[in-house]
Amino acid sequence: MTATSLAAATTAVGSVGPLSLHVVGTDVAATGVRTLTLAGAEGEVLPAYPPGSHLVLHCGDRRNAYSLTGCGIRPRTYSVSVLLLAEGQGGSRWVHGLQPGDQLAADRPRSAFAPVVTARHHLLVAGGIGITPLLSHARAAVRWDRSFTLLYGYRPGAAAHLAELRELCGSRLHELPELPDFLSAVESALSSSPIGTHLYACGPAPMLDGVLGRAAELGWPEERLHTERFSAAALDPGEPFEAVLRRSGRRVPVPSGVSLLGALEQAGVPVRSMCRQGVCGECRVGVLSGAPLHRDLFLSDEEKAADDSVMCCVSRSSDPYLELDL
Amino acid sequence: MGTEHTSVPRWQAEPPAFDARARSCTVLALGHDAEPVAGAWTAGACSAGIPVSAVRTDDLGEALALLEADLASAVVGWRLHVAGPEAEVLHVQARARALGAVDSEVIAHVTGVPARQVLCLHCDAVTETDVLVGGAVTCAGCGGELHLYHHVSRRLGSYLGYLADAEDSDPPVLETR
Repeated sequence: MTATSLAAATTAVGSVGPLSLHVVGTDVAATGVRTLTLAGAEGEVLPAYPPGSHLVLHCGDRRNAYSLTGCGIRPRTYSVSVLLLAEGQGGSRWVHGLQPGDQLAADRPRSAFAPVVTARHHLLVAGGIGITPLLSHARAAVRWDRSFTLLYGYRPGAAAHLAELRELCGSRLHELPELPDFLSAVESALSSSPIGTHLYACGPAPMLDGVLGRAAELGWPEERLHTERFSAAALDPGEPFEAVLRRSGRRVPVPSGVSLLGALEQAGVPVRSMCRQGVCGECRVGVLSGAPLHRDLFLSDEEKAADDSVMCCVSRSSDPYLELDL
Repeated sequence: MGTEHTSVPRWQAEPPAFDARARSCTVLALGHDAEPVAGAWTAGACSAGIPVSAVRTDDLGEALALLEADLASAVVGWRLHVAGPEAEVLHVQARARALGAVDSEVIAHVTGVPARQVLCLHCDAVTETDVLVGGAVTCAGCGGELHLYHHVSRRLGSYLGYLADAEDSDPPVLETR
């Protein structure tokens, strides 16, 4: 690799920060559903992702999360399929206006809906455009020869990726365009899944609530239930601030759009981290003074109110300075 | 390493209640002391009209055979309730996990810890001992002096032990596996 292409690769896919992507293809996956294929500047390998991950696109002044539909291994392109919501906040309209060659920025793929590797069977349940993360799951399941069933409920004539799914899944795909059929297929699967089955569901909130409620009645433990909601939180870039490190006496600026964890890593300050989305608790750092802006799902309300620690992967500072026990 | 991070299970003195969310269940009672607890679980299942298969035995092999037979046809909604000495309970839990159960599907009560099983990390032999965690055990396989470490393997259902003086002495000569 020459120095020039190395530099180009670094700008598109550095070790931290957003990715610079451009549109290499668009397609119609179903009525009102647009598939975008995105690539890096040099067609380089993009960051890999576990099945069921999502990509946060910077849509003008908004940030929207869309499920990646590939299997995630050494991707040279990312694909997302976006349903046009006429009454949405404008993110889907923006995506539907993109043309091949257009540039856009995206955060690195985030995983919050990954398959459980110890599962003996994967029961995939999709409602409408909720098929997108489950297409990713199905691809990975086929690739790794995992046992799975896909129940796909949709309105007649509005099924995205149907031809592709038929070819990929064969008899493991159950096409359920009629609501009563979908409900009875879900009921039957929930009542008769062999022990070791994990359920993954994505779709409209009433569908997810219905599936989860019925699963609980039938004795499914929460550990076996995995859902992806459409409103996956995409965090705003936040105000810039400065992290003051008490033990090392260093000061680390944290610009808008860069996480506290990312800024610390860039400054060479080692912090243990894992999920990088405020879920796992690994990157907890002690706070000595200043008011953290908590945005994680890990700390309890009491812990957040105490303001003595911060999950540095997603949380920031309400003050210009945040003094950390580092 | 503090006890905060140990994988050694801390058993509750009070036996857990029967999990009434079950749609079917297996109840295993290992040893005499497990009988009252298992009896209460079985009664709970019967009064809730939940199908239950139960065994009371001193033979771990018999209990595992019932577990395997039940799991071969179990659907999600099944629960295992197991009571007995720690070594047996750990073994049953490990087998249930290996066959697809998740932690919340296994309700366990330990009636006592008369012995611990220690896996030697050097020769793979399992030694049964009444030594406490942190103590020294002579490995039944390689004869090494093992430090009974505060780690329980969820997969194997045994404590782990390693040579207490591994850095000061020549390791035992082992046959190539």
